[in-house]
Amino acid sequence: MDFATLVFWIVAVILIGSALAVVSLRNIVHSALSLVIVFAMAAGIYLLLNAEFIAIVQILIYVGAITILILFAIMLTRITSGQSTNPVSKQWWLGAIISVLIGVGIIYAEMNSSHAVSATGGSSPLPGNVSNVVRIGQLLYSPSSYSYVLPFEVASLVLLVAIVGAIVIGRED
Amino acid sequence: MGLTLNHFLVLGAMLFCIGLYGAIAKRNAIAVLMGIEIMLNAVNITMVAFSFFNHVKGNGLDLSSLLTGQIFAIFIITVAAAEAAVALAMVISIYRKRDTVDVSEIDMMKW
Amino acid sequence: MYQYSGLILFAPLLSFVIIVFGTRVWDMLSRPKKVQLTTHDGHGSGEGHEQGAHVGVELAFASVPAVATAATARGAKDATAHAEDQAAAAHGAHLDDHGEDDDEDPKVAHLSQGAVVSGYVGVGIMLLAAVYSWYLLLYSIFVPDQNFLKNGTDVFSYDWLRQVGGAGDYVIAFHIDTLGLAMLVVVTTVSLLVHFYSQGYMEDSAGYARFYAYLALFTFSMLVIVFAQNFLVIFIGWELVGLSSYLLIGFWINKKAKPDEQRPSPSNAAMQAFVTNRVGDVGFIIGIMILFANTGTFDFATLFVKAPHVMSQGLLATAMILVFCGAVGKSAQVPLHVWLPSAMEGPTPVSALIHAATMVAAGVYMVARVFPLFVSAGPVALGTVAWVGAITALFAATIALVQSDFKRVLAFSTISQLGYMFVGLGISGLGNSDLTYGAGPGMFHLFTHAFFKALLFLGAGSVLHSLHHATHKEVQDMRLMGGLGPKMPITAITWLIATLSISGFPFLSGFYSKDTIIGLTAERGQWGLYIITLGTAGLTAFYMLRAFILAFGGTDGKYGGLWGGTYRGVGDPHESPRTMTIPLVLLAIPSIIAGYWFGFFQYLSPKAPIISFTELLTNPLTYIGTAVSLLGLGVAYFMYARLNQEKLHNFVENNAALRTVHRILYNRYYVDEFYNWLIKYGVLGLSHVEQAFDTYIIDGVVNGVARLVTTLGRDIRYTETGRVQSYMIGFFGGVAVLTAVVLVLVTYVAK
Repeated sequence: MDFATLVFWIVAVILIGSALAVVSLRNIVHSALSLVIVFAMAAGIYLLLNAEFIAIVQILIYVGAITILILFAIMLTRITSGQSTNPVSKQWWLGAIISVLIGVGIIYAEMNSSHAVSATGGSSPLPGNVSNVVRIGQLLYSPSSYSYVLPFEVASLVLLVAIVGAIVIGRED
Repeated sequence: MGLTLNHFLVLGAMLFCIGLYGAIAKRNAIAVLMGIEIMLNAVNITMVAFSFFNHVKGNGLDLSSLLTGQIFAIFIITVAAAEAAVALAMVISIYRKRDTVDVSEIDMMKW
Repeated sequence: MYQYSGLILFAPLLSFVIIVFGTRVWDMLSRPKKVQLTTHDGHGSGEGHEQGAHVGVELAFASVPAVATAATARGAKDATAHAEDQAAAAHGAHLDDHGEDDDEDPKVAHLSQGAVVSGYVGVGIMLLAAVYSWYLLLYSIFVPDQNFLKNGTDVFSYDWLRQVGGAGDYVIAFHIDTLGLAMLVVVTTVSLLVHFYSQGYMEDSAGYARFYAYLALFTFSMLVIVFAQNFLVIFIGWELVGLSSYLLIGFWINKKAKPDEQRPSPSNAAMQAFVTNRVGDVGFIIGIMILFANTGTFDFATLFVKAPHVMSQGLLATAMILVFCGAVGKSAQVPLHVWLPSAMEGPTPVSALIHAATMVAAGVYMVARVFPLFVSAGPVALGTVAWVGAITALFAATIALVQSDFKRVLAFSTISQLGYMFVGLGISGLGNSDLTYGAGPGMFHLFTHAFFKALLFLGAGSVLHSLHHATHKEVQDMRLMGGLGPKMPITAITWLIATLSISGFPFLSGFYSKDTIIGLTAERGQWGLYIITLGTAGLTAFYMLRAFILAFGGTDGKYGGLWGGTYRGVGDPHESPRTMTIPLVLLAIPSIIAGYWFGFFQYLSPKAPIISFTELLTNPLTYIGTAVSLLGLGVAYFMYARLNQEKLHNFVENNAALRTVHRILYNRYYVDEFYNWLIKYGVLGLSHVEQAFDTYIIDGVVNGVARLVTTLGRDIRYTETGRVQSYMIGFFGGVAVLTAVVLVLVTYVAK
């Protein structure tokens, strides 16, 4: 087992474990904290996949902003009284069954399909020694060759709308 | 046993299902949102994995430098952030109105 | 000449139309405006009210039956009480005459002009019709036209539907031939005499014009049967006669039942008559349909030729026996005889016309009409006819032995004599003789029977009428009569003549017709039928003379108890008015001489033999028959004129066997009770089962579907919980299922 595989297994186990913790802990704050670990481990996976930019962006946005957002929301919607703050609904068993079924279905499909992508690991290095960030920047902003500049602009609009929406919805009146 | 695409795909699938369970089976609205975040992360992992294991069989085009999966992941993250913001604003607003964040008590559209 | 016989057919219809649309309308229009009586809603134009055109006190009296009947019919009870008090105060003495019978037989002080006119119209038209029919009869005998004697002539024909899809013709055709003429004479004569008689019997009756209208309708219906040329028309007439009988039996609408005398109300009796006839008609219709389906025609002449060719004998026999079922119902044979005794609830002229002479004879006439078909159908059909007739004759005669109701004895006597007619018809086809008697014997007995039975009934009506006047109540029980001979001489003498005639006393008309039938049964070797008919002849003689002695004689009368004696009732009865006694005398004549038409058989079917007087005298069978009749007469004379009635009564009561037999016969073999039981538990039981089926199964299915939809709707709405998580469960559950399905399909199917 080489180094990458080992790291992968460690990160994967922690990832799955904390994901399970998120959905099963009875205290909402504990769940939120487990969620942080989930995000962090996801960043680790991205690193393993040579996607440094995505990893950093993951940390920045998910761990940095969304987690805080969630914690603020938990704080503002405090559930007083002794009951658990993160209870399970009455039909949780139904959800469990469905999840398991879907999971088994997906995994089975993946295992037995003939990928369009070869299963051999590794990839050819990027042309030249362009780093991941540069390449993503080229893909996002390039005015002349193949680029995703339009989705980028739309994404900024989405963010604008989201900001305005969140403010409007969250108003007190 | 080297890392293959299957590893990441299975990981993504399991994570997705865990997130699904969280979205279905928890009563706190914020917990539901957390489940949804987990699902989005699972998808992201799958996307990036596909972009890494990128030997496309087929018509000889060299698409390996098109980091489609990663770009997709960036956009997913962006939209997820926006959606989380709006959703949490809604949860707070509902909490102000009804003094509860229990989704099983928000059933005004019932029969 | 024969072409115009259509006039005879339509004359009574004309009379009916005149009465219903003419005189009654005239009456209604000429009624004065009424003075308002307290709570009475002053219209007074109910059924059968012929109100006089008088005001004031007369009005009060005349309104009483109107109010009484209207009140009974509509239930305004205060009006009755109040008006009766008023009228009672106004006309005390006259009203006491009628008492509670007013409800049963409503009377008016004077007949309205319209009513009187309708009476004269009825009698007048019937007189013309009767005269013309006698003229035709005599013309056909004395100016014989061979073509007419063989085939008859068509009178009137109307194509109703022709060749409907190749299925056959529906033609309304009327036809007259010798058989029809013989029957025609009977119908019109008896109808005329009954019309005339009713002028006296129904005097001052509130329903006078209505009665004449119904009589006219009945006569028309009977003539439709007589003139019918095909099964369709005869069936139409059949049902019309049933309708008229219903209307006439139930004539006294508000009369109540008398359970202690075992008498139903007239409305119930009318219903019973109609329904029982209907039961017979089921067989009749099926028989007609079998014939029609196999031959494609209703027409008699065509059927006589075609049916034996296209139908097997067994099928034809079945069809004819079913057709005979209709005759069983209409002519009151066993088992459908129960309506005839109940039909005595109608007025006595009705009983004379319908239930003695004409309507019940329609069954016999119909069988005679299609006699060639019966002959082609083989001995089974005719044997059935003869045996049913014989059993009925014996059955009814035994019941008549002990009846105490005057009219009921006559009713059972009619049933018995009808049985004789059917024996006569049946016997002509049985046995091993070459002589083709045709429908002769049965029709001959019908011919003579009509006259003396009508005479018997009209005489009974005369007795009842005068007893009603004497006692102010309706008296029909023979135990309350006695010694009426000297008081009502004309009635008594004519009744005696009729009694002797029906008993087969030598040289009266009944002797010839009855003994011919009895002799034929012996000649043809049918010894069972012979014994039965012979025995019944003796019984007939017995009960008829018994009735005579109980009514007109007594143990202490003249001629050894035959004439006069103690009167066991109240009041002082006297002879009836002339309008009632003239028909009696007129009927007595044919009762004596009608039997002397020896050429009757040949008149009906040209190949039949003529009755020979000398042959009758030399045949020993005649003497045996006469001896039996005289024996019956003698026993009756001995038991009722000579014996002490008290001792006789005690003797029967003390003997257990005799008492049981008496009780069974008195209750008419409990057939009525049996039918009641059958209807109640059989028919109504079946209807209850079917109703349960309808309610629980059919309605259950229909309502169940509706209930299912409602329940489904009500329960499915619970899936709409309003909670997103339930919807997600549904959504992703579907995804899971679809995933599984696709994977299975891809793995195992798409290989």
